[in-house]
Amino acid sequence: MRHINVLILSTFMLFSLVAYAQHDTHEHEPETTHEDTSAHDHLQIPEHAEDIHGAAHEEKAFNASEMIMHHVLDNHDWHITDIPSGKDAQGHTTYTPIALRLPWIFYSSRDGFVFSSTHDLDAKNYLVYHDHVYALKAGAVRPHADAHGAIHLEKEEWEAYKAENVDASVTLLDFSITKTSFQILIIAALMLWVFLSIARSYKKNTGAPKGTASLFEPIIVFVRDEIAKPYLGDKAMRFTPYLLTLFFFIWFSNLLGLTPLNSNIAGNISITAALALLTFIIINVNGSKDYWVHIFANPGVPPALRYSLMLIVEVVGVFTKPFALMIRLFANISAGHFMVLSLVSILFILGKGGKSIGGALGAMPISLLFTFGIYFLEFVVAIIQAYIFTLLTAVFVGMAMESHDHEHAHEHAHAEGDHH
Amino acid sequence: MELLVPELGLFFWTTLIFLAVFLVLRRFAWKPILEAIHEREHQIENSLKEAQAARDEMARLRSDNETLMKEARVQADKILKDAQQMRDQIVKEAQTAASDAATKEKEKARVQIEAEKNAALSEIRQSAAGIAVEVAEIILRKHFEDKQSQEGFARQLINDLSKN
Repeated sequence: MRHINVLILSTFMLFSLVAYAQHDTHEHEPETTHEDTSAHDHLQIPEHAEDIHGAAHEEKAFNASEMIMHHVLDNHDWHITDIPSGKDAQGHTTYTPIALRLPWIFYSSRDGFVFSSTHDLDAKNYLVYHDHVYALKAGAVRPHADAHGAIHLEKEEWEAYKAENVDASVTLLDFSITKTSFQILIIAALMLWVFLSIARSYKKNTGAPKGTASLFEPIIVFVRDEIAKPYLGDKAMRFTPYLLTLFFFIWFSNLLGLTPLNSNIAGNISITAALALLTFIIINVNGSKDYWVHIFANPGVPPALRYSLMLIVEVVGVFTKPFALMIRLFANISAGHFMVLSLVSILFILGKGGKSIGGALGAMPISLLFTFGIYFLEFVVAIIQAYIFTLLTAVFVGMAMESHDHEHAHEHAHAEGDHH
Repeated sequence: MELLVPELGLFFWTTLIFLAVFLVLRRFAWKPILEAIHEREHQIENSLKEAQAARDEMARLRSDNETLMKEARVQADKILKDAQQMRDQIVKEAQTAASDAATKEKEKARVQIEAEKNAALSEIRQSAAGIAVEVAEIILRKHFEDKQSQEGFARQLINDLSKN
């Protein structure tokens, strides 16, 4: 993750900061080095190119929200940084991105499953724009791209192009391994490595845990004794493996999300939605008879309400529990990243993208102090959110599995509220 | 808005990878780890229980020992005391016996002395009586050889008798 790079660089070297800021502004400029491809002149804006080039440093100095969204959202490239690679004809520095190009995998109602690199998509008549894939109509013209394959269009231009050339009748389901799903693979590999090696160490060593095992054993025991057992009772051992996987998956994700070069995945709503859906399935698959009776015929309410208002409330309640889980994790983790990125951005805004070293110096104490504060807070949030998600999953599953007498059902429901 | 809309592909991969990790870890990591931890906890619990039992046993043995020691000491005291008593008694008996014997011996001696003395006395008396008779005979013979003096003596005797 580049914001971590920024953090490290800004801590030690002001000049690196300035260089970074310059390159960031450069990145968003239209490149003007491709006069040779004149086939799509109407899509290019060559008459403005010089102006924009000249004005770019003043106008598009630094767009914090753009940078932040770029970092937080998923991407089909694993972009690490750009390095200066030389000068173009106008004497501007050109940059070569250091990035991992991840493959496109999608289902298209036109071609079935497509597995392809970004470049090969052109031959199959697909277009990648702003990290989305579009199916082009047969014989459609492609918009002009720069040396790195980036397309620069104004919003209206894109809308016009889309209406004319994109085949809206083709359904596309994007299953690509993106930056975030690649990160999940890394976390999966890390978890398998860590816990399988721990499991091996337990086979050899029956005494006190050693090494990695001694680091994780208290946490494993905590999940078993403080999360699974109190809420799942005698069924605890059945759910402990799932709760452990869930806890460590979220915690590892959050921790890796705080380290350089890694992407933050729990701040992505697709991931939290998938985890919440699994919780939803577990709750409802394990729901006892009482659980369903409570939803569809709550015995503690008069019949008139039971089959009207309460039914709606209870059915909505079934969905709000996992929905809250999804939103809570996503919001907590992404909020932390927004904070860190915003605080780092103060440097660039007050430093005017490297032109005002005084501004950057002035902003540095505040920016760095707050960034460090939030950053370390995020380490705490990382484990707290993993704990809360796992705990609430155990609580919800435990509540759904509970069976109780109908006479006491109503009081019980109240007591439960206090309990959990 | 893009931030808040789940993407199908990512959703799909998350579910797939997460479930795969879960299934692998459940079978090959969590099961052995949880079992090992459980077993160790059992072992620790048992060891603690055993240690407690051993400690109780030790305490019991120690208290037994103490009782035995105390009893032994009491017995030793008693034996000593008995011995002392017996010694005193023997000494006393010996003394009594000795003094009795001495007394008897003395008595015997006294009685013997008395008997000897009496015998001696009677012997002396007898010999004295004989001597007196012999002396008297001799005197009488001498006296009767002289008529004149006999008559004088008879006169003196009669005088004495008459005076009396």
